[in-house]
Amino acid sequence: MANPNTKFLVVDDFSTMRRIVRNLLKELGYNNVDEAEDGVMALAKLRSGNFDFVVSDWNMPNMDGLTMLQQIRADPALSSLPVLMVTAEAKKENIIAAAQAGANGYVVKPFTAATLDEKLSKIFEKLEKAGG
Amino acid sequence: MNDSLQNIPHVHDEAESLQTQHDEMLHRIGLLTRNLHESLRGLGFDKLLEQAAHGIPDARDRLNYVARMTEQAAERVLNATDIATPLQDELNQEAASLEARWKSILTVPSLKKDYDQVADETVAFMTKAVGHTDATKAQLLDIMMAQDFQDLTGQVIKKITELAQEIEQQLVQVLIDFSPTTVTKKEGDTGLMNGPQINPEAAIDVVASQEQVDDLLDSLGF
Repeated sequence: MANPNTKFLVVDDFSTMRRIVRNLLKELGYNNVDEAEDGVMALAKLRSGNFDFVVSDWNMPNMDGLTMLQQIRADPALSSLPVLMVTAEAKKENIIAAAQAGANGYVVKPFTAATLDEKLSKIFEKLEKAGG
Repeated sequence: MNDSLQNIPHVHDEAESLQTQHDEMLHRIGLLTRNLHESLRGLGFDKLLEQAAHGIPDARDRLNYVARMTEQAAERVLNATDIATPLQDELNQEAASLEARWKSILTVPSLKKDYDQVADETVAFMTKAVGHTDATKAQLLDIMMAQDFQDLTGQVIKKITELAQEIEQQLVQVLIDFSPTTVTKKEGDTGLMNGPQINPEAAIDVVASQEQVDDLLDSLGF
């Protein structure tokens, strides 16, 4: 079940896409959502706030989503944070690179509300199992 | 004898000079032809470069237009749904609440005062429902109208596609005409940031659906 207190960070350089993801998360019962427009801003927010989940784009100015993911995994305070990539990058090497960098899920744009829901549930399920 | 002896080289000179003149004429006609050919070719090049120079900023402007129109449309859609959603939520919650109250009142057939109160609330709800559905219909109309960008941007994209095709054809022709060896086509690969795949089915190393993403991740053990 969706825990409405789960704190999300939505990272995308397009405000339209941030708004769409925020609305979808709200539909799924998650009301605690913050936004960042690139990897640099996202890392700053993640380091200063208690976030539970990151939904990130790949191609962004200043710092792209993959670099951000690598920095999250390299930071002891953030390394276990779940990260779902939501991106238009659809080459196999992208998916492999994201998986190797430690992404918890990969959604290709354009996506549906059902896909986002399914991926989030799957990640939460796995985390619960791992966390015991 | 003396004359004839002297005349022979003279005749020979004359023939030689005629031959030289003939060669010179051919040579100059050749040069003229070559100049004309190169001038025409040069003019063609100028035109091509001019077209490309004009075409590229034009293409950039058109793409900016597409970006602006699609962003505006998306903003309108999101604003309209933001307005319509709480209105619908309110109707939904109040309808559910009235339904529950009517159901519970109807189980006790003697409460005239309670009937009247719930009836009054129902009338008030109907008034609100009329107002909200009108407001929602206006927002839905705006949602529909915001889709007009598709027609406009579609036309602009078509123009850019034609322009790009024209430039490509001309460049390919230049390569065919002037390339001494076979031209190897360079892949337009920009590493890991290629953006949306316009035609994923046609590419080998690209996934065409979310299922393929999931299958690939499964195969990697994720």
